[in-house]
Amino acid sequence: MTTTETATEPTLRVYVYVWLGMLAIVAIEAVLVYAHVSSGMLLASLLVLAFLEAAVALRYFMHLRYEVPLLFWTLIPGLLLAFVMMNQFWADAARLNTLRFPIP
Amino acid sequence: MSDSAMTAGSMHGAAMEPSPFLITSRKLTMWLFIVADAATFGAILFGYGYLRFGSPNWTKPFTFSPNIINGLVMTVVLLTSSLTMLCGVAAAREGRSGATMKWLGATILLGVTFAVLHLREWTGMFHEGWSLSKNPMGGSVQVGALFFSITGLHLLHVISGVIAITVIAIGFRARKFTAGHVETTGLYWHFVDLVWMFVFPLLYLLNVR
Repeated sequence: MTTTETATEPTLRVYVYVWLGMLAIVAIEAVLVYAHVSSGMLLASLLVLAFLEAAVALRYFMHLRYEVPLLFWTLIPGLLLAFVMMNQFWADAARLNTLRFPIP
Repeated sequence: MSDSAMTAGSMHGAAMEPSPFLITSRKLTMWLFIVADAATFGAILFGYGYLRFGSPNWTKPFTFSPNIINGLVMTVVLLTSSLTMLCGVAAAREGRSGATMKWLGATILLGVTFAVLHLREWTGMFHEGWSLSKNPMGGSVQVGALFFSITGLHLLHVISGVIAITVIAIGFRARKFTAGHVETTGLYWHFVDLVWMFVFPLLYLLNVR
């Protein structure tokens, strides 16, 4: 067995479609900001769209879709777990307000 | 010498167990770097979130024109540079040296354009009184500190990427580097693009007045 760079290559047309799709997501993000949605809803929507863009970039631009699945399972779940663990400290962010000295 | 031969067929490589990922060591190393760098950006973006949530006097400095328009143009420029990089990698794989140089040149030009637009925006903000420790709107000084720190770290990645692509392009033309080197550098460039997909909505779009 030899080591190869990638098994299959998408065509330029696929790349252009992906590029257009990502531009469309950016446009949706910009429109959402002026759609008068609540700040919580806006944050959630922007994060979902950003993760969607990132997933598309990883799969197509960074060719993760065309690599062996083991590469994905080795790299991505661990990274997501790290993000989930960082997510556990939000309660401390809320405590910042109560920990402040009063402004004279 | 092909990348396959460089990795598995030469010296002791032939006697070694093949990579379970079926990619070159160079590419795997870049992936490991990307994961580590993604964790770094993730940590500072989470940090930005905590500090923003914990700042009762947070101010929103951006308006549609010029900030968001400028940010959208920067996003289109960076996304397009990823497309030109993909074309450069494809041309390098097919051994078309002239086309590779053309596409990598376009990527470098777009990267420089992104950096210039970013620095122009920074200069405008400095003139308005923003800095790492000053907020001309009278709110939390952490607005400027976090904005310049996070976008500065990303800009550093863009500038590093432009330098790396330039070096790889010159080396590829001189036949010192292979298509595998171009692809690995492209992987880094796409990651820089991917990070911006989080920086732009979280730092710009969530801070529109």
